[in-house]
Amino acid sequence: MLRQKLKNMPVNRYIDMGAFLFLAVFPLLFTPFRTELMAKVLVYIIFAISLDLLWGYTGLMSMGHAVLFGSGGYIIALSYTFLKGVPWYMQQAGVEKIPALFSPLLNPAAAFLLALLIPGLIAAFLGTFIFSSRISGVFFSLITLALAQIFELFVTNQHEYTNGSNGLGGLERSLLGSGPLSLNALYYILFAVVLLVYFFCIWLTNTRFGTVLQAIRENEARLTFLGYKPNRFKIAVYVVSGVLAGLAGVLYIPTNGFISPTEVGLTLSTLLLVWVAIGGRGNLTGAIVGTILINWAQTLLSEQISDYWMLIMGIVVLAFVFFLPAGLIGKLISSQYARASARRRNAELEQKEAC
Amino acid sequence: MFALLLANGVNSAALLLLTALGLVIIMGHMKVVNLAHGELIMVGAYAAYYISTVLKLPYVFSIIGAFLITGLLGAAVERLVIRRLYGKTGETLLATYALSLVIQQTVRFISGPELKYVNIPLDGTLELGGVPVPYYNLVILLVAALALLATWLLIHKTTLGKQIRAITENRSMTGCLGINTQRIDTITFTYGTALAGLAGAMLAPIRTVSPFMGVQYLTDAFLNVVIGGVDSLFGTAFSAALIGESVTVLGGFWNDVGAKILIFVIIIILIRFKPEGMFSKEKR
Repeated sequence: MLRQKLKNMPVNRYIDMGAFLFLAVFPLLFTPFRTELMAKVLVYIIFAISLDLLWGYTGLMSMGHAVLFGSGGYIIALSYTFLKGVPWYMQQAGVEKIPALFSPLLNPAAAFLLALLIPGLIAAFLGTFIFSSRISGVFFSLITLALAQIFELFVTNQHEYTNGSNGLGGLERSLLGSGPLSLNALYYILFAVVLLVYFFCIWLTNTRFGTVLQAIRENEARLTFLGYKPNRFKIAVYVVSGVLAGLAGVLYIPTNGFISPTEVGLTLSTLLLVWVAIGGRGNLTGAIVGTILINWAQTLLSEQISDYWMLIMGIVVLAFVFFLPAGLIGKLISSQYARASARRRNAELEQKEAC
Repeated sequence: MFALLLANGVNSAALLLLTALGLVIIMGHMKVVNLAHGELIMVGAYAAYYISTVLKLPYVFSIIGAFLITGLLGAAVERLVIRRLYGKTGETLLATYALSLVIQQTVRFISGPELKYVNIPLDGTLELGGVPVPYYNLVILLVAALALLATWLLIHKTTLGKQIRAITENRSMTGCLGINTQRIDTITFTYGTALAGLAGAMLAPIRTVSPFMGVQYLTDAFLNVVIGGVDSLFGTAFSAALIGESVTVLGGFWNDVGAKILIFVIIIILIRFKPEGMFSKEKR
């Protein structure tokens, strides 16, 4: 049974396995500096997978996904900051002690749960309003775009609580009150979470729920004729995607040690789209590959061409939209199908000739 | 205080209308979502900067120049990028986003990332019922009204406008009747982007000109168009007035950012109940 399943696996799963193997041994082969970068890439992979669920499988292009990421991140960041006492930027603003609203954040477990819950609630709220009427996908993208901008504004504006555009720094590398972790320990925890999220998504996309999502992407009207209510599924996948994005945000804090409004606003949201667009949507592999590729390209090439990086990315994305709309992995999968069906056709032809 | 806020609100509304006018044409009549609209506004602002500050010509030339230059850029964009993506909204969003990056960075290279300043062409204020109103605000209002009128005349009173409306309603049939839809598409898109350039030229004296100034106008313009009704000029004007006034007045009494957030939430709720906008002619 397993053998049959392995034989029928699409080629991109082999790439997944290769990527995970590479990620597993990465810290043993490379310097701590590079490992630290790869740890951040691991966080971004979780983030990209969450968008792939929403955009790749369901066809909902969220241009403000970093809001959900940033909400989770900021909640944990505030929690870590408050654990060290009333931060000086709050004292400067005249706030003497931690407001009662934030007191749950002093408990690491409660903060963790909140950091997953709040993005889910935001997604549920937005989803209920946007998906419950006959709004086309474009409006969803525009509204999430506006949301990203407003979120950045909001966080910057609430500087008595968030230290505004200066961001929150000095955040320690710990999770759930574990105390300081070594880099390798954090790396492998992140890697384990990536695997968990990956297998969860593989399972989810292979259930009937996952099939319905893809049906929404392909032909929502037909799905409605068959008796399904697409809006419920859209809200559900948005919440799942939101919680995963929040999880990525939570993990971002110990990995990066710092968070600021610009890091979790429009720029990251649109960057995320680029990773998934170039890697390929709708197969999870593209999200993984695109994120790793672009982040490392940015790091390795930025020594020479840091100035031109954004321009190059813009041109590359344009080229991909015209020539490789399915992304790298998408093209790989479709060429695998093309070869397989060509093989089948040839076999049929040979059979006919033999008769 | 309230009167001052109202007067400033009129100014915000006029600016919002200018930025959204081009979008109504492109999104309403061509059904194309152009995420590079903000960058086109920025190009208009830079064109105005160069013409007025570097070439030191009177500002009228800046306005006309920005209109023409941005229109030209729009024509190029339409033929090279937009034309191949008609009907594919997902790809159009991604492609126009990439385009906005390219335009942004190109301007940054040509002109440098530092902020540029354009002098207000008409200094001085007028006392209107105790409220100081800068002359330039009146100019903005005038230009916005003229642009609205000109656009309305173009769409509803000219043959070209009739052709544009025909394409909006049924592209293939219009093509079958012998009308060159591709040429009309280019003209429509060019006009829309030229309007964006015009908005940029009017914005340049009162905002700092930088390669990154475009993005905020993008979302405001889109929300405006969506609320007013994607294919309704009157709806866009009305909601521009509404949003512009509300944000300014609320911002004055409460807090700028709070006002924006509140308006945003209200817009989301409005969209829930009237997704086609307030004055849309489409019946769903």
